[in-house]
Amino acid sequence: MPLHDHSLPEALALRGVSRRRFIEFCGAMVATLALPSHYIDQVVQALDKKRKPVMVWLEFQDCAGNTESMLRSADPPIADIVLDLLSLEYHETIMAAAGHHAEAALERVVKEEKGQYIVVVEGSIPTADGGVYCTIGGRTALDIAREVCANSALNIAVGACAWDGGIPYAKPNPTGARGLQDAIPGLNVINLGGCPHNPANTAAVLVHYLTFGQAPALDQYNRPLFAYGHIIHDQCERRAHYDAGRFVEEWDDEGARNGWCLYKMGCKGPEATFNCPTVRWNSGTSWPVKAGHGCIACASYHFWDSKSPFYKRLPDVPGFGVDTTAEKVGWVAVGAVAGLTAAHAVGSAVRGKVGGGREAKDAGDGASKS
Amino acid sequence: MDPIAQPAGRVAPHPIAREEGLVRVYVWEAPVRIAHWVIVLSILVLSFTGYYLYNPFIIARGSRVFMMGTMRFIHEVAAFAFIGAGIVRAYWFFRGNRWAHWRSFVPIRRWQWQGLGEQLQYYLFLRRAPNSQVGHNPLAAITYLFVYLLMLVELLTGLALFNHVLAGQDRLLALSIGWLPRLIDIQYLRETHFLIMFAFLAFLVHHVYSAVLIGIEERSGLMGGIFSGYKFFPSAFVAADPARRSGEAQIPAVPAGRSHQAPPARPVPPTAIRETNLP
Repeated sequence: MPLHDHSLPEALALRGVSRRRFIEFCGAMVATLALPSHYIDQVVQALDKKRKPVMVWLEFQDCAGNTESMLRSADPPIADIVLDLLSLEYHETIMAAAGHHAEAALERVVKEEKGQYIVVVEGSIPTADGGVYCTIGGRTALDIAREVCANSALNIAVGACAWDGGIPYAKPNPTGARGLQDAIPGLNVINLGGCPHNPANTAAVLVHYLTFGQAPALDQYNRPLFAYGHIIHDQCERRAHYDAGRFVEEWDDEGARNGWCLYKMGCKGPEATFNCPTVRWNSGTSWPVKAGHGCIACASYHFWDSKSPFYKRLPDVPGFGVDTTAEKVGWVAVGAVAGLTAAHAVGSAVRGKVGGGREAKDAGDGASKS
Repeated sequence: MDPIAQPAGRVAPHPIAREEGLVRVYVWEAPVRIAHWVIVLSILVLSFTGYYLYNPFIIARGSRVFMMGTMRFIHEVAAFAFIGAGIVRAYWFFRGNRWAHWRSFVPIRRWQWQGLGEQLQYYLFLRRAPNSQVGHNPLAAITYLFVYLLMLVELLTGLALFNHVLAGQDRLLALSIGWLPRLIDIQYLRETHFLIMFAFLAFLVHHVYSAVLIGIEERSGLMGGIFSGYKFFPSAFVAADPARRSGEAQIPAVPAGRSHQAPPARPVPPTAIRETNLP
């Protein structure tokens, strides 16, 4: 019997996930979505009744990091529950089928579940040279995505690559990589940027969709506001050190050992928005800044280009060497003007001594006025 | 409307000027001077605090400090003083006298282009005398125009960063500037904001130097002018002010609404200036 013929409680029981665990999961999802706690009832009831929708997970130019992030999420077993919430019919990394059998499964979903299945896309889509830089089963990523994503009920782009092109998009982008929504304009896409995506957010979006039948509130990049609506800096546990003026100045200095602010080490927390500090990773254990490394703004638009160098406050100035900071450019410019001014002052003093004197000036003035 | 006219209620020409045949011209009106000094002070404060925000070079000790928060607060307050001064000055581009009017900054007339070249030659030691004007010389004027544009960019990038800090919670601010970070990444706005600070500092060096230099060359009381508003010129020179001749005559030297009377303008021989002025 195919797994998706079970109801969710049955499927979870088969996997050994207790009812208590399931309710805990629903509570965590409601909290992640920033909904009031009385929505837990609604979520539980909706998930209990739902026929499990079919999901396909497409991987293009990716490192499978988002898959890893989902599968390796620890307790509560988000992956288990999400995999049981939905009937995952196609996922290159974890499916048993291979070759033509695998592709046949995808074809079947597109044909039989048209307009009802959910697509998760991981990885960017190359568009240069007809998209030849990523082909699966002889078809380009562009071609596959066009067919599969255009016939789905909902598309979710997980990770930086599927959202905005990620690292394949970063300069010089030889494959013409694009995120899903840019490669195929007009699609209905929810973006869950981040390198990788946080599986708690992705699960929360799925739960929201299954419960309410629609996407949560989105921002201008079609990212859910509950996850991307707040600046990391404002949620950071080291923020008090920032306001007080206590900064790490070198790795492993006194400030680093005391857990001071990483602003001077190039932390991009003030620039980035994400719920990383509150949802965290590894079952809410930690996140980069808590672990002692500055934020690299991995959930920000085109962060490889716009937020690098990761260990400096500001981008390098275009047209200058990579190690030339904006500060150096600025001070050299001020110094040059000051130097020229001093030289000019000397010149003017000499002119005052040897020059033609007032009469010459007045004659000049007279000429200029006439 | 005579440009050498004095505002009512003020004593007519300065004693020294009258004796020596110079006339006192009210060039820089109060809004211009106030805006100038508020901008100067706010830029100094903004540069210091802004640099600290980029590189917090003082590491706080103790538990009662609030260095970064305080610096940011001062930066924001000074920024609004700067914006206020900018609004006053922008208003005065339209309401002010001919030397403060926006027309005097845009080189659209032949005398302005000619003077621009002459002043450039003067700075390059190719010409003995600067292109003296009652108001700004054309090169200074176009420089200030450029600086005003930089100020506008600084203001817009600053507001965009402020909006980012407030996370778009201020509706008015978000509506008015929220579009900018969508066009240009916030990091490049931050970098632009930072680099323009250096442009201001470099301009400050040049501006003070050239003001002192031209003040010495012209002996027109140029440095005092930005405090008092008055500059001193031979009356013939004032009468020949091209800003007046070339069509700006409709913009009064003294804004309408103030009565004034003309002092006796006495022609002065060119050499007279030399002895007349304070050293």
